[in-house]
Amino acid sequence: MAALGSVALILVFALAAYATVAAVLAARRRDRRLMRSASNAVLAAFAGCLLACFCLLVLLARHDFSIAVVAEHTSRQLPLRYRLAALWASQPGSLLLWLTVLCGAAALVVLQNRHRNRELMPWVVAVLGCLMTAFSGMSAFISPPFAKVVGAVPANGFGLDPALQNPYMTAHPPTLYMGYVTLAVPFAFAMAALVTGRTDARWLLAVRRWTLFSWMCLGLGMLLGAHWAYVEIGWGGYWGWDPVENAALMPWLAATAFLHSVMVQEKKGMLKVWNMVLVSGAFALSLFGTFLTRSGVVSSIHSFVQSDVGGYLLAMIAVVLVVSTALIIWRLPLLRSEHRLESVVSREATFLFNNLLLLALAFAVLWGVVFPILSEAVRGVRSTVSTPYYDFFLVVFGLPLLFLIGVGPMIAWRRASLGSLVRVFRWPALSALAAGALLALLGLGSSWAGLTAFSLCVFVAITIGLEFARGASARRALEGGSWPRALVGLIGRNRRRYGGYIVHLSIVLLVLGVTASSAYSSVAETTLRPGQSLHLAGYTLTYRHLAHSSNTNSTTTMAVLDARRGDSTLGQLTPGRRVYPVEQRVTNEVDIRSGLRGDLYTILEGVDPSGGGVTLKVLVNPMVSLIWLAGAVFLVGGLIAIWPDPREARQLARRYAAVLAREA
Amino acid sequence: MSVLVVIAVAGLVAAAVLVVAWPFVSPDRGEGEPALTSHQIERIELLERRDALYASLRDLEQEARIGKVDAAEYEDERRRLRSEVAQTLGRLDALDSKHGSEQDETALPREG
Repeated sequence: MAALGSVALILVFALAAYATVAAVLAARRRDRRLMRSASNAVLAAFAGCLLACFCLLVLLARHDFSIAVVAEHTSRQLPLRYRLAALWASQPGSLLLWLTVLCGAAALVVLQNRHRNRELMPWVVAVLGCLMTAFSGMSAFISPPFAKVVGAVPANGFGLDPALQNPYMTAHPPTLYMGYVTLAVPFAFAMAALVTGRTDARWLLAVRRWTLFSWMCLGLGMLLGAHWAYVEIGWGGYWGWDPVENAALMPWLAATAFLHSVMVQEKKGMLKVWNMVLVSGAFALSLFGTFLTRSGVVSSIHSFVQSDVGGYLLAMIAVVLVVSTALIIWRLPLLRSEHRLESVVSREATFLFNNLLLLALAFAVLWGVVFPILSEAVRGVRSTVSTPYYDFFLVVFGLPLLFLIGVGPMIAWRRASLGSLVRVFRWPALSALAAGALLALLGLGSSWAGLTAFSLCVFVAITIGLEFARGASARRALEGGSWPRALVGLIGRNRRRYGGYIVHLSIVLLVLGVTASSAYSSVAETTLRPGQSLHLAGYTLTYRHLAHSSNTNSTTTMAVLDARRGDSTLGQLTPGRRVYPVEQRVTNEVDIRSGLRGDLYTILEGVDPSGGGVTLKVLVNPMVSLIWLAGAVFLVGGLIAIWPDPREARQLARRYAAVLAREA
Repeated sequence: MSVLVVIAVAGLVAAAVLVVAWPFVSPDRGEGEPALTSHQIERIELLERRDALYASLRDLEQEARIGKVDAAEYEDERRRLRSEVAQTLGRLDALDSKHGSEQDETALPREG
């Protein structure tokens, strides 16, 4: 199996290199057969990757400890699902997964465009082929997943990091990888458009859905990771501004900016250079994220050991930045805007401000990640950039962004008059002010940022509600029928727009959840003996006794707590400490009682076996459930927006047919 | 390396070579869109611009209907968009006459 997997990887490398060279030659000679051969090589490379993954999965399932990845990341006691998930727990395995997703995306692009985008495709395949060659080279020769252990084969493996033994870890990394890797597709189309000079709408149409897909995967991947941190890591939070969390956030912010600015290009023929920069930047940031996780330059729960691939990834980032910058400069005459910004009070200006804020936030996060690395390289001292730094920029750039989410869809293109602004925004603005005043009266004025965020959430929610209500009303006036039918028809006819509004609604839920749980949480830490109670934010926890449980992989000691809120009984909570003998690690196993109003979060920090006491840390995190609900709404909105619109494809085909018919 | 693995590896390599070489030995079906000339590209760009302007006009109608823009803004923007449509159609005509084309291609798209 190991030999077969290794050969498959070498074959992938050869096929990817061939696809690159053949695609470039096909573009230069306009050779259709050569292009088909290059496309077939991409498909074969994907098949090779699947075979290599299959071989590694079989080795993981069979406990073949002669393979280093299997010995270092699994054990005989580890359940099968985590043995298989160890594919992405190891550096070589995760690189193989990266490569497989990349080849899969490239294969899908080839199949989607068999009869389309004839001029762009050779260069698209060439760019994707280059990336496939680089990653398959790293996987086959620098960080091989089928490498043997040095010395004697151990009888048992070293096990998997206990923090990774969580169901969310079976979904979080692959989702994030799909987000990172598929950003290569928009990048490849952008480069192809620049090389061929075909900077018309065709490349945008080809990449918009891919960008949306990457963006959704990154967003969902981050939320899955946040939930994993919340239920598994055991510190009471869900986002720690860890460098590797930030690594996923940065390309997501750049892709968000692109998804908005692309509308300005489609509508007004503006921001063409900017869109090229955003697509290239988003992909460079996704490579940077890969560099952070795989080079070992940052210390993070996500990062792997120091390795040689870091240098290669840095070189790739440099090549991507240099080549894309050179091509954009070369094609500047083709990327001139067709219009100028006429007023700062217009929808295009709102999108531009939104882009600037998103990019400013991305750069603030980038600086926070890079500064400790630079500081160590220059001064030899590792500095840390902690949560207050990120929180400051999140408030400074995030609150105006939230405001623009409400303004953007309501304001007119080109120029908006004062009269229309008053008419459109009076109810949302008055509602927001009223909500702010009410919340201040209720005692939530302790955090001005929290109060502002809540008020802005009301503002945005009202604007979105009005958009749906006015649209459905206009549709009913035109076609009659019931309100639900008008609403469904409205969304169906304008999937991209109304899917986007639903995503905006998910951002409102996210902000509500994050603001409430971070600005208004309560915490207590105490030692209790059996029968003693702890009171916090209306909750009462009474410690009863210790309990124990075990399975083949671990043993757990739990504190049994009776929970009440006022006079209502909430049942028992059992936070514990779990010992993993193979991995020689102890982890916190938190217990959470979730509700729409808030979460009661319990952590067992210590056990005094002689005195029978337990040390507990208890948090009451208001409205955290809204963050997970936001994920579901985000998914629904994203799926509506990404759903293919056959009218667009038909219109494109009709334009081409019209042009070709004239020349016939 | 066992005999089975050697056979599997040989089969794998042979399959890869076959897949890559297939287009050179199979008949060329000639499917797909042909490559475009610079004149055709320019024409497509103008048609794209025209379609984007028609879409903007439709959006403007919708925004006026739901009260997002007032009557004066609506008239002003509508006049400007229509003038831009006329300019784009004029450029299409000029392009056609430059290339000696005789057919007319200015029909409104039917989708809304």
